[in-house]
Amino acid sequence: MKCPPFSYHRATDVADAVAALQAADDEGKILAGGQSLVPVLALRLARPSVLVDVNRVPGLDSLERRDGVLQAGALVRHLALAGQALHPLAAEAARWIGHTAIRSRGTLGGSLAHADPSAELPAVLRACDGAVHVAGPAGSRRVGADDLFVGALQSAVGENEMITGVELPVPDAWGFAEFARRHGDFAVVAVAAARFGDRVRVAVGGVAGVPHLVDAGDLDHVGDEISDDHVALLAAAAADDVDPASDLHGCAGYRRALTEQMTLRALADLAGRPQPVREPA
Amino acid sequence: MKITLTVNGERHRVDVEPRRTLSDALREDLGLTGTHVGCEHGVCGACTVLVDGLPARACLMFAVQADDAEVATVEGLAADDGTLHPLQEAFSRCHGLQCGACTPGMLMTAAHLLETDPDPGRERIRAEMAGNICRCTGYVGIVDAVEDAARRSRSEATS
Amino acid sequence: MTPDDQHAPASGTSVRRKEDVRLLTGRGRFVSDLALPRMRHVAFVRSPVAHGRITGVDVAEALEVDGVSAVFTGEHPAIAPVALRAQSALPGYVETDQPPLARGKVRFAGEAVAAVVAADRYLAEDGAEAVVVDYDPLPPTVCAWVEPEHPVHDEAPDNVLLSRTFRAGDADAALAEAHVVVDRELTTNRHGGNPIECRAGVARYEDRRLTFWSGTQVPYIVRTQLAELLDLPEGNIRVIAPDVGGGFGVKAVLYPEDVALCLMAMAMPGVPLKWVEDRVEHLLAATHARDHRYVLRAGFAADGELLAVSADAWCNAGAYSVYPWTAGIEPLMAGGLLTGPYKLAHYTCTVRGVATNTSPSGPYRGVARPSTVFAMEALMDSGARALGMDPIALRRRNLILPADVPYRMPSRLVDDSGAYEACLDKAVATFDLDRWRAEQTRRRVEGGRPLGIGVGVYNELTGLGRAASAGPRMAFRTGHDACTVRINPDGAVTVFSGVTSQGQGLETTMAQVVADALGVDYDDVEVRYGDTDSSLWGFGAFSSRQAVISGGAAHLAGEHVRGQVLALAAALKEAPVEELDLRGGQIHMAGQEKPIISLAEVARVAYLQSDRLPEGFEPGLEGTRFYDPIRGAFAAGAQIAALEIDPATGEIGILDWVCVEDAGRIVHPVIVDGQIAGSIAQGIGGAMYEHLVYDDAGNLSTGTLLDYLMPTAGEIPELRIGHVSTPAANPTGVRGVGEGGTLAPNAVVAGAVADALGVEVDDLPVTPARVWELVQR
Repeated sequence: MKCPPFSYHRATDVADAVAALQAADDEGKILAGGQSLVPVLALRLARPSVLVDVNRVPGLDSLERRDGVLQAGALVRHLALAGQALHPLAAEAARWIGHTAIRSRGTLGGSLAHADPSAELPAVLRACDGAVHVAGPAGSRRVGADDLFVGALQSAVGENEMITGVELPVPDAWGFAEFARRHGDFAVVAVAAARFGDRVRVAVGGVAGVPHLVDAGDLDHVGDEISDDHVALLAAAAADDVDPASDLHGCAGYRRALTEQMTLRALADLAGRPQPVREPA
Repeated sequence: MKITLTVNGERHRVDVEPRRTLSDALREDLGLTGTHVGCEHGVCGACTVLVDGLPARACLMFAVQADDAEVATVEGLAADDGTLHPLQEAFSRCHGLQCGACTPGMLMTAAHLLETDPDPGRERIRAEMAGNICRCTGYVGIVDAVEDAARRSRSEATS
Repeated sequence: MTPDDQHAPASGTSVRRKEDVRLLTGRGRFVSDLALPRMRHVAFVRSPVAHGRITGVDVAEALEVDGVSAVFTGEHPAIAPVALRAQSALPGYVETDQPPLARGKVRFAGEAVAAVVAADRYLAEDGAEAVVVDYDPLPPTVCAWVEPEHPVHDEAPDNVLLSRTFRAGDADAALAEAHVVVDRELTTNRHGGNPIECRAGVARYEDRRLTFWSGTQVPYIVRTQLAELLDLPEGNIRVIAPDVGGGFGVKAVLYPEDVALCLMAMAMPGVPLKWVEDRVEHLLAATHARDHRYVLRAGFAADGELLAVSADAWCNAGAYSVYPWTAGIEPLMAGGLLTGPYKLAHYTCTVRGVATNTSPSGPYRGVARPSTVFAMEALMDSGARALGMDPIALRRRNLILPADVPYRMPSRLVDDSGAYEACLDKAVATFDLDRWRAEQTRRRVEGGRPLGIGVGVYNELTGLGRAASAGPRMAFRTGHDACTVRINPDGAVTVFSGVTSQGQGLETTMAQVVADALGVDYDDVEVRYGDTDSSLWGFGAFSSRQAVISGGAAHLAGEHVRGQVLALAAALKEAPVEELDLRGGQIHMAGQEKPIISLAEVARVAYLQSDRLPEGFEPGLEGTRFYDPIRGAFAAGAQIAALEIDPATGEIGILDWVCVEDAGRIVHPVIVDGQIAGSIAQGIGGAMYEHLVYDDAGNLSTGTLLDYLMPTAGEIPELRIGHVSTPAANPTGVRGVGEGGTLAPNAVVAGAVADALGVEVDDLPVTPARVWELVQR
């Protein structure tokens, strides 16, 4: 399990990284935390001609809250995200990612660009209706959460582009619940729930090629307080709204049931009535 | 590519292919075979080392990324005179190792844990060590060892 | 402090393991760590198809890759003449060949087709990628209980490599008479050892001598088999198994890759070749196990007496009859031990080893018995329900008791234990069964997560002597090991033991046994092992045999040399030998506090001062002894656990887990507990997490550790381990402990989930998804 050969470019700034990608003629790849990319390379499932290491690009690890939105650099490590108090939903979700040795390296931008449908942060981005800033040869553009995820492990970030920053609106109330086979595993189903004003957004990971934003009709209109009945109805609506496939870890019906359960737990969390859930590592 | 690896305080100049993982560079280029490789895709934790003080999978980092970084491996745990690190003593006392293949990664993970939390309970120890697979011990001896090392380090600190 | 206190026996205490310091400081000596001058590295090209004819192999492009020095295929003249052929004289056993590299046909996805030699492993993999192999696919068979469309081996058109029926009494008649009859159909899940260090080998051939460093559990068997396969004098082969990073049975096999590596080294004299298996290769091509199906019927009398068991079992042998153990390894163990610790007069059981287009099955910790204990305990639980009896009372009703021992099992194995009830009683008491039953009832009445209690009682046949290992009728009969004890001229002791160690601490255990048998301090004993050039003989690590057999040899050799020392001391000091005692390295005369002479001085005379040697004494102090227990030492065990279920997610929470085993006399308490804890953890892995899944096309769907889930410290609960100790009839009184823990978790988890939900659990592993489905029923 040794990576195929590639050349290596240590980017000095974003423009340099983009130029290096461009020079690679669609065969370059950004190397950030490497926690997903390196296994793919070790299995020789991809063979980029050049890896553009952005780990030393200055200014990409900032975290600040402006106008109710967390502005985070793409290089913010999961460990830092988990430890910050500016966006508690993102912090909670980050704590569920892997283990300390993964969180110490893995990055926010990398996770979103990798677009694993069962990963935590893509679900959070959708629940919060966030966006990413993408730098490319034509300059910078902003891609909203609904447009970022195209399919399993496919994002709208182009071959010559890199994510530089992430906008995550801070919800008024939030909840997160995940079911995984073991401590630190990818979720079988993960649910991020966020209330902005009188609307609740529920995003479900693990049930489709992209994190699924639940369409609950009018049920997503809530007041400051959400009743148990409303929570139950929303959770049932979430289960109805997903169309998961069967795989090694369970049949479609099981994933649907988990969607309902994790939505219940995330919403109970959001409503300030946390149920006992397993603590993440 | 020529890089400088600082491992356990010692600087090494090595010339590596960009694709060479940090674990292979440690083992093959520096002869530091204490860092073991168990899966090469970041799951088993056997290759865990500390990079600038934080635990990292050495199989998921390229050596070129560790250029100028401070890497700590199991070889650096014991004192220069051979005195074992409190964790090494505790692993031996509590039978926290059998075959020794996962042990270096376990020790480095535990070393970081105790640096950040001198008094973790068994549940926290279990959660924090869950990124390292052991196939021999059933984890009983490992959890005992980390708990024991923490306790002894605390009592030393207060005495 | 009296001299006796000062020199208390090393056995029975948890001395510091001799292995620990080097392993804790990163100075272990694993094959993976080995670097030799001129060494090159090997990567295998593996088949992406499960079944197919090889229509062409093109290595031209691979030879152009930088750093590649050679490419070997199955047709290469160095490889082509050789085949691994696992032999057995059992009637009806179909012998088949396994080529070192596939020839003509591939039989499982992952089979090695070619091997690339290069300057390092990166370049070898580059070369392997450039080898072009063309396949003409054949229909694959992955399931052992369906008719094959196209046989795996032409010699076995129905894919059955071995079938055997065990029979005692008249099961049909007894079933007809039974008060209740219960039926179960069960499957168990394919999984494997997955030691943290994968397989590894370095082969060097020069001056007509082959040195093979191998992470093997069985270096002497490897040497003998290599001599035959490579046509070399056995004395010209040296197999070295240094520190080995876990084995669990997976490394008790001589693999085609091992043989290919040695053959390639012989074709490239003077160039050491190194192959370190990666995890993907391990999951694909190291032996798997436990892919079984059982169709069972049991009859009970009204009072609970087990009257008869009738069983059919299918064991998926994979693509090749595992070398040298044969495809009989799992089915023969299954049929021989199915009835476990229960008395039974009427038994019929037909077992089959069936070839499929999957990775070969081989020995894995517990060999078949995790499956058979699950099967037998499922019958007990079903019987208890049908009879309206308490399931533990039903087990007690049928256990082999001390008064029954020696008990001839229906398979004619002789059980010498009888400690089952003692283990079960102690487990139940430790667990506090009444408290958990009360909690279960409370939850049923007041609500709360369903709680279930599962139990597994088992007998582990350990330390098989020549009679107990007769079953497979292989070309060799395991049973004995050798040990040499040498007193050095300075009085310190070097032991040359036939053991190998993959973490079991045998270096320590052998030192303890010899220290006590001889009468010296543990710290004065060094143990050499894992090198066929240094020690005489040992069959290796399998069947929980080494503490029993090598331990026995170590004890006998120690006693023998102690006799030499005392005789020489007696002659030197003109003292009556029967009044002399050796302890703590000093020779004492009965009734005297001060020693009369030290072992060091006796040794000095024996080696360096032949002028002082009394008449009739040879120089030197050394002795070698073999030991064979002839039968074996059955080890008893019982496990009981309380599990709770989250019906919404199917998640299982383990609330308490108790295991009580009879390890006989215990040499190193902490090592013994470590063996038990580790084996329970692997058992829990198999029961709840680990599953090697093939799709219908024969592709392994669980090819990385992202899908093949081994439990971590976050999943394995606190384990409460207890002991009863009935010394076995062997020199040290020990019973084997390496495997017992794995035997019960399948039964315990499935039984507890069944108990919690009022359902039957027929298929493993018991995953959250499966539990959820059971809840939905």
